Amino acid sequence: MNSPVSTVAASAVNLSKIYGSGDSEVRALDNVSVDFATGEFTAIMGPSGSGKSTLMHCIAGLDELTSGSALIDGEDLSTMSDKELTTLRREKIGFIFQSFNLVPTLTAEENILLPLLLGNTEPNKAWVDRVIDTVHLRNRLSHRPSELSGGQQQRVAVARALASEPHIIFADEPTGNLDSTTGTEILTFMRKAVDELGQTIVMVTHDPVAASYSDRIVFLADGHVVDEMRDPTPERVLDRMKNLGN
Amino acid sequence: MFKNIDGYVRSTEVVEGEFGLQERTRIPLAMVEKVRNVPGVADVSPDIQAFARIIAKDGKPLGSEGNGPPTFGSVGEDFKGALWTIVDGRFPAGPKEVALDEASAKNGKYTVGDTVKVVAQSGSREFTLVGIASYGDVRSPGGATFALFDVETAAEFLGKPGFVDAILVVGDGTRTDEQLADDIDAMFDPSDKVETLTGAEITKETQDDIGQALSFFGIILSTFSYIALGVGSFVIYNVFSISAAQRQRENALLRAVGASRRQISRAMLTESVVVGLVGSVLGMLGGIGLSSALTALLKGLGIDIPSSGLVVTASTVVNTIVIGVIVTVLSAWLPARRAGKVPPLAAMRSTAIEVAQVGRTRTWIGLAAIALGLGVIGAVIGGLGTSWLGLGILFVFGGTIVLGPVIAPPVGRFLGTPAAKLRGITGVMARQNSVRNPKRTARTASPVLIGVALVTAVSALAASIKGQVNDIFTEQFKGDFAINFQSSGFGGLSPSLADGLNRIEGVESATGIGTLLVRIDGQGRLLTVITPSTIEGNYDIGLVGARYSDLDASGIFLSKDWSERNDKPVGSTIKVTLADASERTLTVRGLYENDDVAGNRVVSREMFAGANVQSFDFGVYVKKTADADAGEVRAALQKAVDDYGQGKLLSKQEYIDEQAGSVNQLLGLIYGLLLLSVVIAIVGIIITLLLSVFERQREIGLLRAVGMTKGQVRTTVRWESVITSLFGAVMGIVLGVGLGWTIVFALRDQGLTSFQVPVGTTVFIMVMSFVVGVLAAIYPAWRATKVNVLESLVTT
Ligand SMILES: Nc1ncnc2c1ncn2[C@@H]1O[C@H](COP(=O)(O)OP(=O)(O)OP(=O)(O)O)[C@@H](O)[C@H]1O
Ligand SMILES: [Mg+2]
Repeated sequence: MNSPVSTVAASAVNLSKIYGSGDSEVRALDNVSVDFATGEFTAIMGPSGSGKSTLMHCIAGLDELTSGSALIDGEDLSTMSDKELTTLRREKIGFIFQSFNLVPTLTAEENILLPLLLGNTEPNKAWVDRVIDTVHLRNRLSHRPSELSGGQQQRVAVARALASEPHIIFADEPTGNLDSTTGTEILTFMRKAVDELGQTIVMVTHDPVAASYSDRIVFLADGHVVDEMRDPTPERVLDRMKNLGN
Repeated sequence: MFKNIDGYVRSTEVVEGEFGLQERTRIPLAMVEKVRNVPGVADVSPDIQAFARIIAKDGKPLGSEGNGPPTFGSVGEDFKGALWTIVDGRFPAGPKEVALDEASAKNGKYTVGDTVKVVAQSGSREFTLVGIASYGDVRSPGGATFALFDVETAAEFLGKPGFVDAILVVGDGTRTDEQLADDIDAMFDPSDKVETLTGAEITKETQDDIGQALSFFGIILSTFSYIALGVGSFVIYNVFSISAAQRQRENALLRAVGASRRQISRAMLTESVVVGLVGSVLGMLGGIGLSSALTALLKGLGIDIPSSGLVVTASTVVNTIVIGVIVTVLSAWLPARRAGKVPPLAAMRSTAIEVAQVGRTRTWIGLAAIALGLGVIGAVIGGLGTSWLGLGILFVFGGTIVLGPVIAPPVGRFLGTPAAKLRGITGVMARQNSVRNPKRTARTASPVLIGVALVTAVSALAASIKGQVNDIFTEQFKGDFAINFQSSGFGGLSPSLADGLNRIEGVESATGIGTLLVRIDGQGRLLTVITPSTIEGNYDIGLVGARYSDLDASGIFLSKDWSERNDKPVGSTIKVTLADASERTLTVRGLYENDDVAGNRVVSREMFAGANVQSFDFGVYVKKTADADAGEVRAALQKAVDDYGQGKLLSKQEYIDEQAGSVNQLLGLIYGLLLLSVVIAIVGIIITLLLSVFERQREIGLLRAVGMTKGQVRTTVRWESVITSLFGAVMGIVLGVGLGWTIVFALRDQGLTSFQVPVGTTVFIMVMSFVVGVLAAIYPAWRATKVNVLESLVTT
């Protein structure tokens, strides 16, 4: 979905993140500026320790910035209180983590509806139904996470991220713990969510194949944005990665 | 008490009843001079210690009725043994003079020269205060009050003219106390029936008496401490489970690099020994500090304890520490073993500290124990001795605690329903969390369960007793007013009070009921003393086929029950020995049914008229004439009672309420228990919640990431805590009501027939356990909000 006038869903402006101080100082992000367009599926790639997760956490309001600013839907996160950030995460952001995505005591359905239930918001029934059907979970709704396979659990996580109709979804290596078939399944759902449901997704990944499902790839190295790629294929990505490594 | 006394001469004749009641035969005053002339005797003083109540300037009697320190009348005169030293004025001389102990003078606002009213067995009388005395170095011994008279006045006013209780002797130092005692004894003929004790002997005897009186207190205290130890061990168990959990990775790593299971378990057990040692020592120091504080407090309240300071024996120290350490180590045993069992691989996994599954064997063991316990209780109800009851109850308790983890999930889910309904998803999660690890929930709830069960049981007992008392007096007390004295065997109302009240206009009859200690078949027994001429229509003891007027000076009424048990039908005779060693042969003139107040044996006041014995009334019952105005009669009665000086005038209903209210002492015990269990329960719940929060860091992190506010995190923890606490309370109430019913049933021979559920207490307990849950959750909930979202998401 490449609309000619693409609006910005989230962005980082001169964002820096420094861990520790003095000798042990680690500059995880160094003056990073990047935009994520609405309705686009963006992948973030880069070597281990390059700052991918950190960037995601900072933009998603999970971590504090050292300097610069992060914007979601035009709102500056750096000025928000913990309470405002929590509400923002609940209402405007969907999360998919690599593992341990679900609350073990809740059923699949409760997990899917969790952000809505926490916010006491009435779910959009038609939308939720559509999401559940999209990820094929209709007959698993009353199961608890321990009764679901790893792939099914990740699908529940995808459904949860979608259910609240968030402004943007962040996924940190969502397929990292899955075998390739299940991984492909999840990626297909995410692609579908963008194409059919009009979602905005930002996904951190190491896998060129996973990245090739996206519309655009942002490459990070040593806390800097070093490159970008549109309409990637696995081969081109692999190629670029090799260059980055050097 | 007798530290300056070398010898103590007294009668060998004594009547000893239950609960340490005793009355020794008085000896003639003439014996004093006889003892004084024994070679080696430096000084003698007659001793009298009898009931006497000093009325303060404001008209209120000093000292307390019932269980407080006693109120004495005694002899005060110059004597080398010097129990009393005058601090102001002089010792009394003559029938119109009195001296008071220092504290009483102060509390009664009296100074030398004032007129002081004193009440004794023979009635009340006014004296002139001529002296204020102190007892050794304390103002008044142990909170007791003392009115001191010269010998003749004391004998006449407090007991019988010409008689004293004992003779105190001081030697001139020419011979040992033993020798002196022998010499004095040699002066007397065996028919005089006196004995001489050395100073050391009488001191020891007195201390033993006091020790005995305190032993009931000791039993209550040790019950408290066993309960505290028991529930404390649950808490210790949880603490060590937590530290095992927190160190799981560390321990797994140690295992991976070659540490054996035993080494890891042993490290933890060593730690428990240290913890137990430190805890016990701290606890003991705290205890010593507390009792010093208590002594100081008592002193501040005017109750001086004339003892050589606080006694901390070596065995107390050793026992405290040994028991403390053993309990700690035993409680840490399982967690330590589990810590050792951690597989090396766990170093790479996230925390899963306790296996949550509940074994099937547990269900069976629990059910079997409960069944066995119920069986024993059933057998007791069916006629087996009540001493088995404790065993049955123990089995039911034990079984319930074993079964706790099995019951916890369904009950917890049920109790969590309101939370889930009211609080939405946070309530749902709290409910799930509370039953997530049933073993832990049950263990955490156990202190609550035990405390609540005990409190409920005792409340049920108290409620039943109250109900019973109410029924009894409503049925038996036919009059309109009562004058009441909370007697516990020492002192009471003078029999002359009832006589005076009978002369008041509008009073149809006033009748006193009292007690008399006698010996029957070598055993001390209390007789109930009535006045047959005035009791008719006023107080009903349920005579069967007899009338009050049948009771003459040589007659006795028996309860049906006692008559049957001792095979004493109407017409048979009973021999009683009075405290002055005289004997009476009494004929059974009739039987009665209501033995609740009247006890088993009733005699007429005439029976012991003129005898040298003590007898007080514990109550005077008054019936007004049909046409008299209740208010006027009451006012007249009140004036008479005020003139007399002590006793409490009550209407019929007030009297009944007050009788039922004496059960409140039992309730005081309950509140002690309640407080103890509340404290332990809170500590236990805090620890368990901390453990849970620690285990669920990742989950909490995840929830925070997807939008759970800190407030919601707190709500979840709080409701989990409340559900756990309520679980304990509900189980405890069920057990406690059952226990209470069983005890009431077992006591049916003591006259308890109606079982009452303590509804008020039950509601109060539920509210309390809710509050306990909320309070206990404060810190763990705060900790839960401090969970680092990122850290918990990043750790894999
Ligand atoms: N809490 C922290 N304290 C100190 N340094 C940190 C912390 N979190 C991350 N870092 C450092 O910041 C840098 C970026 O880390 P980040 O987790 O963002 O990398 P990444 O690109 O996600 O790596 P990977 O592909 O391995 O997940 C690394 O050098 C890391 O060591
Ligand atoms: Mg990462």
